[in-house]
Amino acid sequence: MNMFSMIAEHMYIVFIAIAIAVVLGIFFGVVAYWVRYLDKIILWLTEVLQTIPSLALLALLMIVFGLGNTTIIVGLVLYALMPIVRNTFIGLNDVQPYLKDAAKGMGMTKLQRLIKVELPLSFPLIFSGIKIATVNSLSIAVMGVLIGAGGLGFPVYRGIQTRSLELILMGAIPVVLMALVFDYVMSNIERRLTLRTSDTNK
Amino acid sequence: MKMKKWVIVIMTLVIGLSMALSGCSGDDTITIGSKDFSENMILGEVFAQLIENRTDISVNRKLNLGGTFVCFEAIKKGEIDIYAEYTGTALTAQLDMDVIGDPDEAYRVVSEEFDSQFDITWLEPLGLNNTYAVAVSNEVYEEYGIETYSDLAKVSENLVFGGGYEFYDRPDGFDGLKELYGMEFKGDPVKMEISMKYQAIGNGDIDATDAFATDGPIRKYNLKVLEDDKGFFPPYYASALIRNDTLENYPELKDLLNELGGMIDDPTMIELNYLVDVEGQSIEDVAKDFLESKDLI
Repeated sequence: MNMFSMIAEHMYIVFIAIAIAVVLGIFFGVVAYWVRYLDKIILWLTEVLQTIPSLALLALLMIVFGLGNTTIIVGLVLYALMPIVRNTFIGLNDVQPYLKDAAKGMGMTKLQRLIKVELPLSFPLIFSGIKIATVNSLSIAVMGVLIGAGGLGFPVYRGIQTRSLELILMGAIPVVLMALVFDYVMSNIERRLTLRTSDTNK
Repeated sequence: MKMKKWVIVIMTLVIGLSMALSGCSGDDTITIGSKDFSENMILGEVFAQLIENRTDISVNRKLNLGGTFVCFEAIKKGEIDIYAEYTGTALTAQLDMDVIGDPDEAYRVVSEEFDSQFDITWLEPLGLNNTYAVAVSNEVYEEYGIETYSDLAKVSENLVFGGGYEFYDRPDGFDGLKELYGMEFKGDPVKMEISMKYQAIGNGDIDATDAFATDGPIRKYNLKVLEDDKGFFPPYYASALIRNDTLENYPELKDLLNELGGMIDDPTMIELNYLVDVEGQSIEDVAKDFLESKDLI
């Protein structure tokens, strides 16, 4: 396994996990927004998931999903839900009432209002949730080695075991760099999105 | 818009790349796992290279799995076919039974129970017994000429004992040992991080310490592991575990892996651990050199 393929696999694991988490997270965020009595339960559940220690969660998931990338991807999705669901929920709630009323007045259905007005206006906040989830996932994915997944976990854990700073850094530096790059790029996108929607959302 | 395109391009690249990376396993493949410490990984690598060199089966390595629980669940589920386990761990952690002091009896019980409960076979013991042990510095060994724990007890009032925190907390740790052998060490026993205790005994700050019997630093600091003449510590003999259905598919693996039976005793394992943990050699090289030195490949 060379360095390049380990980095590529690490990114692949995180991308797939985030893609799934975005779909599920926005879905549950919308459900929490629409169905009033579910919001507390959904938000509470995503928070509970966060508190499960990662090795324990991965070991349990391993029993169902086996050794390999699938298990770490499922684990990352569960950890990524909280920021995405929460920000979707808050974003949808924060859309100005007069905009919702205007959409309603134009004769839009509930679904049309969501897709054409509410989601686009809350997207900057949703996106910032995705950003947090992505950066978190990059570091949690290192644990994947413990349940047989690929990525940069192997050098990091071997380094810790053999007290080899060189190995630890070999694994950790790419993770940190990826996290910084993603944070930078996504923060830029986030800022543009916010600028674009802030005029209408105020 | 520009940004969106870039994101799509990068994502396609990454996904395409990783798909190219995966999906490279042939028909006759078995998977070997190991726990996340050097000794267990070395054993896994030894099994892997032996199989690769002597059969046409290709080996998929899942070394560095997160501990006993993950390995055991994985082999039960068929995610891995083989890994190295210790009799003492199997009795207490997996079968939830009491420890058995007699090594042969312990091996017999775990073999039977694993076969009937989990369809897993214990191959012949490799030879090493990675149990708790008490080691003394070479100076102490030469000065007092002690060989066993009973010998140590007789001179213990002159010696300082230091050990890892866990050793003081376990029922089968320091207190039990002291009581059985009647040891009275000089002053209060020193408690420290496991990683510090070898340095401490190397510096002469302490005279005796707890150790795992196959730890690499035993060789680095030239320590003398004493003999547990009253059998205080339960046996932790290592064997390869293999799924019964894997043995049905590849019956040749049984005789092949049993060639390792008795080949890796404590001093050999200390040496292999030393090469990896202290000298920093790669696990692959250490496993290969070992197998070649025993004419197994």
